[in-house]
Amino acid sequence: MSAPEIVLTGLRKRYGATLALDGMSFTVRPGVVTGFVGPNGAGKSTTMRVVLGLDAVDEGTALVGGKPYRSLRCPLNHVGALLDAAALHPSRTGRNHLLWLAYSQGLAARRVDQVIEQVGLTSAARRKAGGYSLGMRQRLGIAAALLGDPPIVMLDEPFNGMDPDGIIWMRGFLRSLAAQGRAVLVSSHLMSEVQDTADHLVVVGRGKAIADAGVNDLIAATSSGRVALRTTAGPHAMAVLAHAGATVVATGSDTITVSGLPADRIVTLLNRSVVPFSEVSAHRATLEDVYLELTRDAVEFRAATPTEVTR
Amino acid sequence: MRPALHAEWTKLRTVAGPGWLMLGMIAATVALSAAAASVVTCAADGCGGDPTKLSLVGVVLGQAPAAVLGVLVISGEYGSGMIHTTLTAVPHRVTAFAAKAITLTGVVAAAATIAVLGSLLAGRLILSHHGFTAAPGRPALSLTLRATTGSILYLTLIGLLSLGIAAVVRNSATSIGVILGLLYLLPLLAQAIGDPHWQRRLEQFAPMSAGLTVQATTDLGSLPLSPWAGLGVTAGWAAAALVAGGLLIRTRDA
Repeated sequence: MSAPEIVLTGLRKRYGATLALDGMSFTVRPGVVTGFVGPNGAGKSTTMRVVLGLDAVDEGTALVGGKPYRSLRCPLNHVGALLDAAALHPSRTGRNHLLWLAYSQGLAARRVDQVIEQVGLTSAARRKAGGYSLGMRQRLGIAAALLGDPPIVMLDEPFNGMDPDGIIWMRGFLRSLAAQGRAVLVSSHLMSEVQDTADHLVVVGRGKAIADAGVNDLIAATSSGRVALRTTAGPHAMAVLAHAGATVVATGSDTITVSGLPADRIVTLLNRSVVPFSEVSAHRATLEDVYLELTRDAVEFRAATPTEVTR
Repeated sequence: MRPALHAEWTKLRTVAGPGWLMLGMIAATVALSAAAASVVTCAADGCGGDPTKLSLVGVVLGQAPAAVLGVLVISGEYGSGMIHTTLTAVPHRVTAFAAKAITLTGVVAAAATIAVLGSLLAGRLILSHHGFTAAPGRPALSLTLRATTGSILYLTLIGLLSLGIAAVVRNSATSIGVILGLLYLLPLLAQAIGDPHWQRRLEQFAPMSAGLTVQATTDLGSLPLSPWAGLGVTAGWAAAALVAGGLLIRTRDA
């Protein structure tokens, strides 16, 4: 097997009238956690189903380790995936669920007990999976993904339903998988879940990758040229700055983000119009900002945004 | 193929449902056969009838649990979404489907053997108390053997037909409705039709009435089809359903 990478090239997939994937292309590299983020319905799950050969694409190729998934023998030794943690038979125990999966790959029952311990499910392993909390099902799904000790791990919304302890565990766990040299792809519709975990981000919207870059690069690109302003006279300040040609967004009860004007010019303008303010600083974007900026046009269903005044 | 079979067998034995369904099949087959045997009596002018067929009449009821198992083996996974896990573990779809079919065949055939032999034994014991011991009432051994193996094969084929239908339909409730309708409604429809030509046609074509001709050991001339040809019709139904299910599993998105 060549390098443990997922390479997607120009994936297009139509379900009836819906274009689910519209030229999705990106690469998931070994040794890093790649966050796969985008609004619901942007094509994250469809992409993962295509990688696993569950759905066929109309155009494009999806290769794992240089081969299409459906050509792999004992595929769980190449790719471990968690798509839907609820996809279980409720009256089968967690251990037995892993057992049939292990047997399907020619693995021994010993391996099942190893992964159960690895995800911290030992005490519940012999209980029926139907009684598991969503967090426990996620752990069971992760155990299933790890069965074949695969060099590629792909998890769809693994943070869903996890309690805070579970989220912290999951972050450390994903980082350790990448540190072992595995290629790790983790999807989420919440940027905050992946911001401390991912090294690389693929942001998707309307069926294609709209950003594919390192986390730090993305933050720097979005932050450039923005100024954060703290003032109690918000509407007045916004009117003055918008009149001078800036794009102004109220980001809190007394905070405004200004773009299109340098900080010294903003101070001069506010002083001239006698607008009180307490702080002017270079704005450092959070991943959340990056995400909102990138997906602004890609969100299909969106509530009204905070007040935005453009000249 | 062997790992896929091992996986499917493990799935079947690690939940209670399949075991109960097979027990239900055995109980229903033997109970109905015994009940039927215990209500017939020999008339003064000879016993007549077909005691072997009578002893195996429970198959008519026992086929329902076999059909339900055949459906649940695959549509249960579509219902829960577990089919995705199955097909990521065994991405070669025909192999995954064949593993299900082979495992189901083994399980249903084993339980059907117990059910059919149990019915035959119960029938013999009860009928002998009713005077069916005379030589004219005892068919040739070869005919009894045909009825016995034919009934076991019939139950197995019904399981496979159900698996094929469920692979096409995917939904458990709909699949069970389709298969039970096919089994029980078609013969009822045949009874309702006045025209004897069409009635015979329907009996030759319906999977149950055609297949169960294999149980006949007397009066073979009155059958709509010869016994093995009748079972062949059921086998044709099962084969068609499996091919359709296999093709769709291969080509459809999971």
